[in-house]
Amino acid sequence: MLDLPARISNSLFALVQTQRAVAHLLVDDTQTLVQAGGHLDHYGLSGLRCGEPACDQVPLLEGLLPLAETPFLIRSMEMPSGRVADVHFIADESAVWILLLDVTAEHDEARRVQQKAYDMTLLSQREARLIEQLESANQELTRAHRELAESREALLRTHHRLQQELRDAERYVRAILPAPLTQPFALDWRFVPSTELGGDSFGYHWIDPEHFALYLIDVCGHGVGAALLSVAVADTLRSEALPRTDFRKPGEVLAALNQAYQMARHDELFCTVWYGVYHRDAGLLRYACAGHPPAILVSGPRDCAGQGRSLAAAGPCVGISAAASYREEQCSLGSPARLFVFSDGTFEISRPDGSQMAFSDFTDMITRPVEEGECELDRLLDYARQVHGGETLEDDFTILRMAL
Amino acid sequence: MLQRKICLLGAFGVGKTSLVRRYVDTIFSDAYLTTVGVKIDKKVVSLGAEQVALILWDIAGEDEVAAVRMSYLRGAAGYLLVADGTRPETLEAATSIQSRIVVELGRVPFLALLNKADLAQDWAISAARLQALEDAGWTFRRTSAKTGAGVEATFEELAALLAR
Repeated sequence: MLDLPARISNSLFALVQTQRAVAHLLVDDTQTLVQAGGHLDHYGLSGLRCGEPACDQVPLLEGLLPLAETPFLIRSMEMPSGRVADVHFIADESAVWILLLDVTAEHDEARRVQQKAYDMTLLSQREARLIEQLESANQELTRAHRELAESREALLRTHHRLQQELRDAERYVRAILPAPLTQPFALDWRFVPSTELGGDSFGYHWIDPEHFALYLIDVCGHGVGAALLSVAVADTLRSEALPRTDFRKPGEVLAALNQAYQMARHDELFCTVWYGVYHRDAGLLRYACAGHPPAILVSGPRDCAGQGRSLAAAGPCVGISAAASYREEQCSLGSPARLFVFSDGTFEISRPDGSQMAFSDFTDMITRPVEEGECELDRLLDYARQVHGGETLEDDFTILRMAL
Repeated sequence: MLQRKICLLGAFGVGKTSLVRRYVDTIFSDAYLTTVGVKIDKKVVSLGAEQVALILWDIAGEDEVAAVRMSYLRGAAGYLLVADGTRPETLEAATSIQSRIVVELGRVPFLALLNKADLAQDWAISAARLQALEDAGWTFRRTSAKTGAGVEATFEELAALLAR
């Protein structure tokens, strides 16, 4: 206890009573409110009734009485009025004094400090969680990147293997093409697939000493499937492997070929074919066409401008309809003359601006006079590349020239 | 009228005050205002034919500096342990508080609330940890003071436990 004179003690008590808005309650051992006084209104505790249960009137007392320890303090309790009080419990024989001292100012100050501290802590916790999530995402990305790199390497290995296989296949396709002829007439060709393996193929051979067969096949699409079918059809014609078929009769050949290569049995692939038979002694060309561009016959000497004659014949693509028939046409073929058989990739050339080369440009090129030492096949190929604006054409470029 | 003291406990910032505001006043504010000391509210509920006054002690959250004063729980008939489902450390704070309550008060009915259930995309508490605590006798309820989901039902579930 402070050893102060009574007048100082009284002043100190008056000071505390004024500044802390002291209020008091007295509750007896039956938890009945015995006495209430001081600044009860300040805390929103007006209207208390002495002689009635204390806990019913002052909820904060619920469960706390009788006291387990004395003195007992509850710090910073927000009261019904919104003021904040330190609530002191002091046992006095069998009764309990409850003293309320206003600490609102201190509470508000403590709350401001605590608010800042908690806000900072929550922010740092959130930051830590975000960093953890980012690190986890980074690890996941690193793992995914590693797996991707491994997959890419595997894909590259597979790609290189497939490229090698495609090159082997292309070599084979080229190897089975017939060599150009110089006797008894000149026969030359240009074969430039748009990809490593194209859908074009061709061939020519003597059926007998008098009949010479000449044919060009264009399978829809490109790649391995188209190339396989194209080579198979060419081989069928080359080896004359169609039953009960006279290979000197073009219409009969295409009808039999159509029966053998129905698209339903060939992965929905179909093809166009031009097939002609030159009868050397008669100077006659018989031909038939299965949806293929007509061949062009240019009569007259090479060094003069010629007149192109279209050698068309009616007939649908091979493989589409089993009931198809093929009309056979014929024309005289005497020296000097040049016969051009070609696929649509030689004239369906798109320019960089998207427009198409005209078919008349193509016929102009092959009917134009040919100078000494010049080859109209190379001239045509160069022209096609120039029109397209690049070395690689969109479609297979295949053309045969038979010169008499 | 029967009165029952219920304390809300947990780490700071888990939403104890917001849960009381949602339950007693059916309001919610997004602004976080920290609690210093204690705030008491009263809500009367009907349990069958009987009315019970719940005296809700919203006690300042525990942090690294200040622990919950166990003496404030004196006379509590039950309590709600609140954790923030987006902050796993608050569940560990709840387990620490609960173990001290058992020492101080013995086995008193309680429910564990995983609050902020509306923030499902930020949920960070593992199912395995929850299962371990359930195996230890904890009963979890998901609540959202923001949407009100599960709030009234949870308070009244605890009130029903206390009235038995």
